Amino acid sequence: MVQEKGSSSVSSSPLHLFSMMSLSPGLGSPFPSLQEMRSEDRGLFLIHLLIACANHVAAGNVENANIGLEYISHLASPDGDSMQRIAAYFIEALADRMLKGWTGLHKALNSTKITWMTEEILVQKLFFEFCPFLKLAYVITNQAILEAMEGEKVVHIIDLHSFEPAQWISLLQALSERPEGPPHLIITGINEQKVVLDQMAHRLSQEAETLDVPFQFNPIVSRLENLDVECLRVKSGEAVALSSVLQLHPLLAVDDEMLRRNSPMVNKSPNSVHFQGVLQLNPHTLGDFLDKDMINTYGASPDSESSSPLSLPIPPKMASFLNAISGLSPKLMVVTEQESNHNGFNLMERLMEALKFYAALFDGLESTAPRASIERQKIEKMLFGDEIKNIISCEGLDRKKRHEKLDKWIPRFELAGFAKVPLSYHVMMQAKRLLHSYNYDGYKIKVENGCFIICWHDQPLFSASAWRFRRYS
Amino acid sequence: MTDEVISTGSTKNQVSGSNPQPVVKKKRSLPGNPDPEAEVIALSPKTLMATNRFLCEICGKGFQRDQNLQLHRRGHNLPWKLKQRSSKEVRKRVYICPENGCVHNHPSRALGDLTGIKKHFCRKHGEKKWKCEKCSKRYAVQSDWKAHSKTCGTREYKCDCGTIFSRRDSFVTHRAYCDALAEETARIKAASHMENHAGHTNYHFSLGPSMGQRFTSIFEPISCNPQKINDPMTRSLTLWNMSQQPSQNQDILSKNFQEMHQMGISISSLGAVYSCTDPLVNPCASNPPAPTTTYQLNWDFTKNLNSTKASDDQLSCNSLPLSNINAKELGGSAPSLFSTQHQSHHQSSTANMSATALLQKAAEIGATTTDPSLLGNFGLKCTENPVQNAVTTRLGSDLSALNQLQMYPSMRHHIQNQENITEGETRDFLGVGIQSICHPSSINGWI
Repeated sequence: MVQEKGSSSVSSSPLHLFSMMSLSPGLGSPFPSLQEMRSEDRGLFLIHLLIACANHVAAGNVENANIGLEYISHLASPDGDSMQRIAAYFIEALADRMLKGWTGLHKALNSTKITWMTEEILVQKLFFEFCPFLKLAYVITNQAILEAMEGEKVVHIIDLHSFEPAQWISLLQALSERPEGPPHLIITGINEQKVVLDQMAHRLSQEAETLDVPFQFNPIVSRLENLDVECLRVKSGEAVALSSVLQLHPLLAVDDEMLRRNSPMVNKSPNSVHFQGVLQLNPHTLGDFLDKDMINTYGASPDSESSSPLSLPIPPKMASFLNAISGLSPKLMVVTEQESNHNGFNLMERLMEALKFYAALFDGLESTAPRASIERQKIEKMLFGDEIKNIISCEGLDRKKRHEKLDKWIPRFELAGFAKVPLSYHVMMQAKRLLHSYNYDGYKIKVENGCFIICWHDQPLFSASAWRFRRYS
Repeated sequence: MTDEVISTGSTKNQVSGSNPQPVVKKKRSLPGNPDPEAEVIALSPKTLMATNRFLCEICGKGFQRDQNLQLHRRGHNLPWKLKQRSSKEVRKRVYICPENGCVHNHPSRALGDLTGIKKHFCRKHGEKKWKCEKCSKRYAVQSDWKAHSKTCGTREYKCDCGTIFSRRDSFVTHRAYCDALAEETARIKAASHMENHAGHTNYHFSLGPSMGQRFTSIFEPISCNPQKINDPMTRSLTLWNMSQQPSQNQDILSKNFQEMHQMGISISSLGAVYSCTDPLVNPCASNPPAPTTTYQLNWDFTKNLNSTKASDDQLSCNSLPLSNINAKELGGSAPSLFSTQHQSHHQSSTANMSATALLQKAAEIGATTTDPSLLGNFGLKCTENPVQNAVTTRLGSDLSALNQLQMYPSMRHHIQNQENITEGETRDFLGVGIQSICHPSSINGWI
C-alpha cells in the first residue's frame, strides 16, 4: 500500500499528520504488513502508541486520540500475546474515558448492561485457581493467625470478603492439630452475595464437623463501606482477627475534584503535598485523628513523587472504617493489597503504573494458562480489564480501584492506632512451600520490614502485612 | 535461632525416655525439672552402668530389674512377715548425671527415671558401639540402634539434591528451600529445552480434560500437565502415572460441568461430591527441577545434622525452626491450599517477549520526551510517529532506517538517507519512510 500524499505532508505538524491519516479511509487495510511484525516489535510499538494515545486523551484531543485508538486496535487483540491483550484492555478503558465526555452517549450505551452475578462469582474463583496471589494471601493470613492465636480459647475471625471456603478449611485443619486442642472458632464472613455466604457456611460447617472443631459461621450480607460493626457481634473475651484480602482500597475513594477545588491552600501542581489547608477545611471529617504528631508523621512519608488525592491523612470512609474496626481491638489484622500506585491524581501517572502492574499480571497468567483458555480470558476481561477500566476511566467516587503501595498504607494504619506485627519466618516458609507445591515459576516473595511483597520477577504485585491494635497514647 | 532450638529439642528427646520417637500426645512436663521433695541420687558411672542393680538380700544375687528380683525372692520361701517390703513410703528418687559439666549434673535438673538417666549418659557421654548396617549411623544405646534399623531405608524421601529424609515434614521443609535456590538453574534449563510448538499442541490437547481438573484439582489428585512429559525437567513418577488417565479426566470433567450446571454457582460444593478432606491438596508429589551441585554446598548444613545425631529426632530438629504448631501442621496431612500437583504450565515462549520485558525495553529506549511531566519514568516522546505504511517486502528487513526516525522534523531529513525510500513509492502519506517496525537492535535511535 502506497500513500502518495506528496510533499505537503512533509511539513505538517504531528496533529496534522493525524488528521491526514483520517482523511484516507479508503485505503483498505493499511496494515497488511503489520501482521508480519515480530511480536517484540509489535509490543514495543504498542507501548509507544498507547502512551501517545493516552496523552491525547488526557489533553482532550479527541480526534487524535481517536486515530490513535484506531491504530492500536489493529494491533491489539484479546487473544494475542500479553502485550496485545493489555493494549486491548487499555484502549477499551481509554475509549470509555473519552466517551464519558459525552455523558448522554455514555449513559445510553451502558443503560442495558446486565451484570451476570454467577459470572462475577465464577471469575473470582477462577482468579483464585489460576493465580497464586489469593492462595498466598490465605496461607500468609492463616499462618499469622495461627501464631497470634496461640493459647487462645475463643477465636473470632472477621473475613472482609468471604468467598473461598478453602481459605478457612486450611485454618480449621491447622487449628484442629494444635497441641492444646482447637479453639472455639467463629468466622464472620462478609460478602455482597447471599448465595456465596450460604455456600461458605455449608462447606465450613461440614469441615468443622469432620474435624471436631467447635465452629460457628455468621454471614453478613453487606458492602464494606456500609458495614455496621455492631452486626459483627463480637463479644468480649474473644480474640479478634481480621482478614482483608484486596478489600481496603475502595474505601479510599473520595471526590477528588471537589476537594481539590475547595482547598484554598493547595498548590495546583499535582506533586505538592499540603496539609494545613486541607486540615482546616474538613476538621470533622478527619475525626479523632487530628493532631500534630500525625501531620509530622505523614509529612515524613518518603513517597512524594505521586500525588495522592489532596494529602488527606486518611480519607473519610477509610477513617471511619478503621475507627470502627479498632473499636473491636483486634489482636491481628492481616491486610493484603495491590502493591502499586494507581491512585495518582493524573491519568498519565496512573496509566504508567498500571501498565507495569498489569503487564506483570498478564505475564504471570500467560505462564500458567494457555492463550485459548476461556477461563484466562474471563479473568483478564472481567477482573483485570474491569480494574483497568476503573483506574483509567473513572474519577472521584466512582474510582474504586485505588491501589496504593504499602508505604502509603503503613502511616494510615499507624495513625489509626495499629502497630505492625512482623510476619515471621514460619509464614515465609509456608508461603514458599505453597509456591513450590504449585510449581509457580517466576513468582518471588520479598521481605520488607516485616511485610511481604509478592512479585512477578522483579515487579512488585501484592503486599501482605499484619497489624495489631494497640491503645494509642 | 536454629541452633538453640535444635539443642533444646535434642535434649528433650534424649532424656524423655526409651522411646526415640517423639510422637506424644500427652503433654509432658519439661524434662529435668524434678519434684523438689524428691531424693537426689548421685550414682557413679560404674554403678549407673552396672547391670545388676537389684540385689537379693538373702543370696546376694543381682538382677537388672526389680520385677526379676521379686520373682527370685519368691523362690526363697520367705515367712510372711519378711515377704513384705518395707512399709515406709519410698521417697521418690531422682538421678543426676555423673558427668561434670553436663546440664543434668545439677540436682535441679535431675531426671526421674533411672533408665532415662542411663540412656542419657550413654548417648551423651558414652561411646557409640552400635552401628547401623545400612547407613553409617552409630548409636550408643542399643534400643536406639534397634529402633533406627527398623526404619532405616524403609520409608525414604529423597530430594533431588540428594539429601535423604526419613520424615515427611523435614523433607518438605527442605524441599521448599531447596527449590527456591534451584529456580535459576531450572529456568536456564527450561529455556534451553523449549519446545514451543510441540508444547502448544500437547497443551491444547490436554486442555480439555485438564481444564475440568482446574476445578477438581483442588479436590482430587488427578491430572498433571501432560506437557510436562515433554519437558525433560519433569521427573516425577507420579506425574507420569497421572498423565495416563485421560479418560478418567474426561469423566470427571463432564461430571464437573454437570454438577456445575445443576448446582448453579456452587462450584466449590463440588468438594462435597468428591468428599475430599483437603480442598486444595494435590497429593501427587511434585519434584523440583534437577538441582545442580550448588545444592550440595548449600545444604551441607542439613546433611551434617542428618548424619551427626542418631535418632530421627534430629531430623525433627531440622524442622523445629518452625514453631510447634507448624511442625504439627507439616507432620499431618498436607494442609489445604497447598498443592503438590503440577499446574498446567503454559510455556511462555521465549519467542514472545513478555509484556514486562517489553515495558522495560521501551523505558530504556526512550530518552527524551516532549512532555516530561506526563511520561513518568518511561521518558518516551508522546507525539510519535504512528503507524506508517510499510511495503510488505520491507517489513522485517531494513530496520536500520528506524534509527533515523526522530521527531517528525528530523525524520524528514533522514528520509533521504534511507534505502527504503529510494523508490519513492514507499513514502507514506506522512512523507516519511516505511518504518513501522521497531527493530530491537536499532531501537536506540528511535525517539
